[in-house]
Amino acid sequence: MDRDEMRRIDEYRRTTAGPLENDLVDELAEGGISRQDFVRRATMLGLSLGVVGSALAAYDTPLAFGAPTAAKAGGRLKVAIIPPPTQEIEPHTFADQGGLETGSIAGEFLTRATQGLTLAPELAVSWKPNANATIWTFKLRPNVKFQSGQSFGADDVLATYNRLVDPKSGSQALSVFKGVLSPGGIKKVDNLTIEFHLDAPTASFPYLTSSTTYQAIILPADYKLGSFTKTPQTTGAFRLTSYTPGVGAKYDRNPGWWGGNAPLDGIDVTYYSDDAAVIAALLGGQTDLIAQIQFATGRALFNNSKVQIFSTRGSTHRQVPMRVDLKNPLKDARVRQAIALTLDRPAIVKTLFNNLADVGNDSPFAPVYPSTDKRVPQRKKDLKRAKDLLAAAGYPRGFSITLTTEKVGEIPQLAQIIQRSVKAIGINLKLNILTATAYFAGDQTGGPGGLGNTPWLNTPMNITDWGHRAVPNALLTSAIRTGGVWNAAHYKSKKTDRAIAAYLGSIATSDQRKYAGQIQRQLLADTPVVFPYFYNYLAAGSTKVKGYKADALGGVYLSRTSLA
Amino acid sequence: MTLFLLSVIVFAAAQLLPGDIGRNVLGNLASQKDVDAYNKALGLDRPVVVQYWDWFSSFLRGDLGTSLQYKVPVADLLGPALVNSLKLATVAFVLVVPLSIVGGTVAGLRRGRLRDRVITVAGLSLTAIPEFVTAIVLILIFGITLGWLPVSATPPEGAGVATQIEYLLLPSFALVAVLFGYIARITRAGVIESVEADYTRTAYLKGLSRRQVVVRHVLRNSLLPTIAVVATQVGYLIGGLLVIEKLFNYNGIGQRIYIAAQNKDFTMLQSGVMIVGVVYLAATLVADILYSVLNPRIRYGSAE
Repeated sequence: MDRDEMRRIDEYRRTTAGPLENDLVDELAEGGISRQDFVRRATMLGLSLGVVGSALAAYDTPLAFGAPTAAKAGGRLKVAIIPPPTQEIEPHTFADQGGLETGSIAGEFLTRATQGLTLAPELAVSWKPNANATIWTFKLRPNVKFQSGQSFGADDVLATYNRLVDPKSGSQALSVFKGVLSPGGIKKVDNLTIEFHLDAPTASFPYLTSSTTYQAIILPADYKLGSFTKTPQTTGAFRLTSYTPGVGAKYDRNPGWWGGNAPLDGIDVTYYSDDAAVIAALLGGQTDLIAQIQFATGRALFNNSKVQIFSTRGSTHRQVPMRVDLKNPLKDARVRQAIALTLDRPAIVKTLFNNLADVGNDSPFAPVYPSTDKRVPQRKKDLKRAKDLLAAAGYPRGFSITLTTEKVGEIPQLAQIIQRSVKAIGINLKLNILTATAYFAGDQTGGPGGLGNTPWLNTPMNITDWGHRAVPNALLTSAIRTGGVWNAAHYKSKKTDRAIAAYLGSIATSDQRKYAGQIQRQLLADTPVVFPYFYNYLAAGSTKVKGYKADALGGVYLSRTSLA
Repeated sequence: MTLFLLSVIVFAAAQLLPGDIGRNVLGNLASQKDVDAYNKALGLDRPVVVQYWDWFSSFLRGDLGTSLQYKVPVADLLGPALVNSLKLATVAFVLVVPLSIVGGTVAGLRRGRLRDRVITVAGLSLTAIPEFVTAIVLILIFGITLGWLPVSATPPEGAGVATQIEYLLLPSFALVAVLFGYIARITRAGVIESVEADYTRTAYLKGLSRRQVVVRHVLRNSLLPTIAVVATQVGYLIGGLLVIEKLFNYNGIGQRIYIAAQNKDFTMLQSGVMIVGVVYLAATLVADILYSVLNPRIRYGSAE
């Protein structure tokens, strides 16, 4: 135990720390939290690196901050993005992978979620909650300029977040902020201080301001809608200088970037719409980096000496929601449990991902989250129990039902695996595999069920692709909580809702784990959604790409990347 | 008249596509009220006939409208795509037309012999193989294994003519494989018919050499059906190369139309199809003129 560090941390606790920060340090002192979890939560609460280092040193767990490696400067990186953006590049409306990847190269957020699920300061340098985490105060980075030449300040954050939470703006970030932050909740304190007054206590709110909410790119207060691709006007290391829909984009180094000079001169993005074409481009030397690959379609790249795979463990997953409100066998929780019990998850993970994935346990709590309660038993294949449950529900001979899904990645294969699996207990599962466009077509609001008529939210059973989140909040509030905007199972449970509210407001990891455990157990009992796996985010590049790390959500961050 | 009919069909087909433009543009989280207001602002609440006339008259004036998907002028997207498609079609035509005519002529003149069988069987086999298979095999061999040719058809910005052609070679080879058998077969049939015709026998009796007979009489007459067939392939080569454009990541008009249909970008879809239709009609017109030049009976028939 380092006495000097102990004195420093004691002084910090007396003079600066609030109750949340003190709880966190107590947890560390009592050994109730791992070093990694402490760093993750400390960054979330806005503790400075000095305080984090002192706390760890005080409790005999020294923290080594790695020095950046020297990178060779110069060159233009050829990046392949697949599929292309499906609509205009307008950050607050990002809803597709191509759009978020294109925006992420130039854009910056208040905070950044790292590979290890810690938070790094970006356009905010520190953040601090009030006692019950309903008001968060962010200090903004001084001396930052937009690429248009204007100075960055609180007005810009205010305008950006007002657009993100405005129900009439077409914002896709409402899936994250609905019930958390409402219009009028963002207040400017001074030019470099902003406050977020939340609808309810949210301990992990800083994560929602990070790159995990990929729509939250900070833009100037006088930003004009539709001008993102016409004028460079973000704060990032690269300026978007040219954009041709469906074809490609060009970025040049931003000489005025607050973080210094990025090694690369620029980036040339080419959009692809065919897996074979993009793989051939990498193998044929016409691209340096593919921003995202799927194991199912990119097998040719694995074990190739000319290719490096960038793999990041995350919470990207597929959900198999089963409508709990329709007059069919799925209404009975025992039937839904039986279906979940037919799946051999380790075998599925091996077949579809060559083990580059974690087995799911039918809740959004991925193994990668520190708050996941690992004591909750893992659901395993058990055909006998599944048959018993089906018989008890009154379907000893099974039944027929249709599973609707989209032709994306390995999903059709997963659908076939589920079809074969449930056949063992007599269920005749018919598959209806649509294009992604058809699957997501239609309204998401209104109608008798409240979720419009789009197939992905209204069919009896389906499979949908879900992206990574640094914290499970948005998954809980949108897909599980009663009335969630993407609650495809139409699941309603007061018990689960209470546990979700308690989880979202919990500060200490131990409390989060307690409520996570409650949610996990309740979801296993009710099984509104099967979560078969959480797979690693994969990117691929030639061996000359240095310093690149894949982001679990798919953002392409190249400020530290170079070419050998 | 053809263009008018095409415009009616295209417009009607676009109306039949499922989905709502406002919903598609504003996203799934927008309220129905906002969606309705957006549709009204676009004039989509007007009678279909009014909408049709508005669109078609604008198209005739050269105003292609604004892409609903990308919010930029359609002409800015379709223009470069059309130029790209014309470039690819030109390179493919330059390769496949002479090759097929020579192949078909040799096969026709050597009817039933080994060369005829080799050319006919090889042509048919290549035509029977789906174009994506041919394309992938070509990419694997010439692009990845040997590294001789670029695997993507889009050249670097500012590339010269030679580099652009180099980038277009692999997709052109794939198209040659698709079209060679078809065009060569038509040419072969025409050559066989011409060789057996009275005027050919007369030419030999007049004492002309075999070379003179083939060039002046056999080819001139046998190419007539070939020209008609080649002209019909123009529409395919300009607007129907979706698979080739996707595999070689080429920004052609076929891919633009396909993406527009997928995303219900009606303004782009309708204009794209109309442009392909115009190109097709122009190619047919050129073929008719060429036909009349090569076939005196048509010219004289018209004069009478």
